[in-house]
Amino acid sequence: MGTNRGMPILPVSAYTSQEWFDREQERIFSRTWAFAGFAEDITEPGQYISVQAGLNNIFVVMGRDRRLRAFHNICRHRGTQLLRAVGQTQRAIVCPYHDWTYDLEGCLISVPAQEREFPELDLSKITLRRASTDLWRGMLWVHPDENAGSIMQWFGDVEPFLGPHKVEELVEYKEGRTEYDVRANWKIVVENYIDGYHLAHLHSGTLAMYDHSRIKAEFIGPHYAFWEPLSADYAENLEKNAPYPLVIPTEQAGAWVPMLFPGIGLGESESSWSLFHVTPLAPDLTRVVIRTRVADVSSWEFTRQSFRSFGFWSKRIGGKYEGDGDDPMASGDFTKEDIYACEQQQRSLKSPYFVHGPSSVEGEAGVRGHQELVRDWVGDG
Amino acid sequence: MGDGFHQLRVLDTCAVTEQATSFRFAVPTGLSGAFRWLAGQHLTLRFWIDGVEVRRSYSISETPSSGDPLRITVKRVEGGLVSNHINDRITAGDIVDVMPPFGGFCLEPEPKGRRTYYFFGAGSGITPLYAMIRTILVAEPYSVAYLAYGNANADSIIFREPLVDLENQTEGRLVVRHVLTSPSWMSSFSYWRRGRIDAEAIAAFIDEHPPYAQDAQYYVCGPGGMNTTVRAALQGLGVPDTRIHTESYGASEPPDDSVNGITATTSVRLNGASLVVPISAGQAVLDAVRASGANPPYSCESGVCGACRAHLRNGKVHLRARMALTDSDVERGIILTCQALPTTPQLAVEYD
Repeated sequence: MGTNRGMPILPVSAYTSQEWFDREQERIFSRTWAFAGFAEDITEPGQYISVQAGLNNIFVVMGRDRRLRAFHNICRHRGTQLLRAVGQTQRAIVCPYHDWTYDLEGCLISVPAQEREFPELDLSKITLRRASTDLWRGMLWVHPDENAGSIMQWFGDVEPFLGPHKVEELVEYKEGRTEYDVRANWKIVVENYIDGYHLAHLHSGTLAMYDHSRIKAEFIGPHYAFWEPLSADYAENLEKNAPYPLVIPTEQAGAWVPMLFPGIGLGESESSWSLFHVTPLAPDLTRVVIRTRVADVSSWEFTRQSFRSFGFWSKRIGGKYEGDGDDPMASGDFTKEDIYACEQQQRSLKSPYFVHGPSSVEGEAGVRGHQELVRDWVGDG
Repeated sequence: MGDGFHQLRVLDTCAVTEQATSFRFAVPTGLSGAFRWLAGQHLTLRFWIDGVEVRRSYSISETPSSGDPLRITVKRVEGGLVSNHINDRITAGDIVDVMPPFGGFCLEPEPKGRRTYYFFGAGSGITPLYAMIRTILVAEPYSVAYLAYGNANADSIIFREPLVDLENQTEGRLVVRHVLTSPSWMSSFSYWRRGRIDAEAIAAFIDEHPPYAQDAQYYVCGPGGMNTTVRAALQGLGVPDTRIHTESYGASEPPDDSVNGITATTSVRLNGASLVVPISAGQAVLDAVRASGANPPYSCESGVCGACRAHLRNGKVHLRARMALTDSDVERGIILTCQALPTTPQLAVEYD
């Protein structure tokens, strides 16, 4: 095996071809629990959202019993999408095309001009295709299969490896939401997320507040659990040095940075909680949406904390290289550094001279593990 | 014993309110399989009182998931023959005839299941619900339970202290809300609402405690009228019928004795055999079949357990009580033979 350690596990075409992309959409992203939003996105009866989860468009609506129901967003008549992105309905879901109407259990309850146009139609035999939905860790999830089973069959084993954060009690803030279209395959983005080897190097100027030599990481089922402690100088005076008010008790401080399958990264730290949601758009294009939540305290608390910690951070955060603000490697922003590295890798895959190089023992074990996982889910044919 | 009963020794007893007592049973190793139970099921007990055999079913009030002994909790019914006999006479060390656990109103825990359970109970209807709540807390760690519990006043609340302990020990996985019809002015007990568990209370309850786990299940156990009210209120909120599970308890609903049975003859199909049995005026179908020497299935003789159910293929009967039957059972012609009085001279009854 040598320094390759079994690499390459996936061929170059897994990162470049439409055929691989289509198979992943069908076999991974259309058969797993998908992130659909946060608990606060639906809080009142009649409210709904619709989300694309792999090949499926699914809407989630709250009934008067305050329970969420999920259905495939397809009218059983001609297949028209029933509900648009977000909105409010009361007791019924009406298809815009011919006004076929369903109740919140998905049962067809009325068809215009039924006596003339559909005299033989038995309404009670027609229901919307049901999907599954649940809340977990403050997040709203959907699964295309109505018999998907408990969401804890999927996330239960990894939960003990996540942070002590109470996600529902943290608040999202507007500037904490960023969106990037990365010109790289989604697996390159995920592999970068779970690569422990690059942290001390690519991010030498941006992530020095964590001790990368003490990482604990392993796959728990399909999910990659990842934890690292604070660096000694940061931890020494955490209450003063934290950039924002703390969200977990000081004695538990550290960073949990798991990658849930497929492509749902969490960044759970001492002073913030964020979601890193990876959505493949094309073989070489991936959307990353980052949504950050912080302590639910006054803006004065944030101002005060940023003042207190300014001295600490001004000495520690900076670009890897000198340069102007347009250069991601001089930006002092670790996300821009990551995107830069991912896009460069994707470009190199087109070179006839590209071959996979050696793979590191510990730091890149997760990369190999993720490639094996994708290979197993996608299968051969 | 060949009649389905086993002799169990009473381990100990414990008064839980002025009117209710818990009884724990020792189950010999050889019977532990037969006496394995699911939360929500009940036991049928047999006594001879003044030389007459009587049977009653009582819900098991302990979870099967904790290793605690089999336990029932019996509340005195005013003028009730058996409930008072048990409360007055049965003590630790006594031997009681008990039939193995039985009943379809039950909750089987799934270790990785994740549900929101809503429980609506009143009075001694808490007994099966308490077993279910304990089961969830012990054996279904990702699920949560919300209990709305109706009683006359603070002193009549069965398991009042144990419920407080469970609430405190389980970090928000159990919420208990008390609804009292006639709270005492002298009591410092803090309750949630005054009145009954009606549509308004149910809507407020769910509003205050919306489901977090989205697989919500609704369990109801109270006197007959309450179950109908709760079911209708839940349906009014759009809860699908498949998620609502109910059980009545018989004691507080008096049997309907408005109709007298007439003299009749019935054909009976039982265990592959056919027989013809005469029924005297006022006699229940079950009693007539037993008097003929046959061995039909039966247990509680009060319409609660459903063990004696059969299909009525011809003729009509009056059911004095029908707690064990759903509306759709009745529509399909299922009867409880222990409660069935003939109202036509010819019947045809078929056991499963």
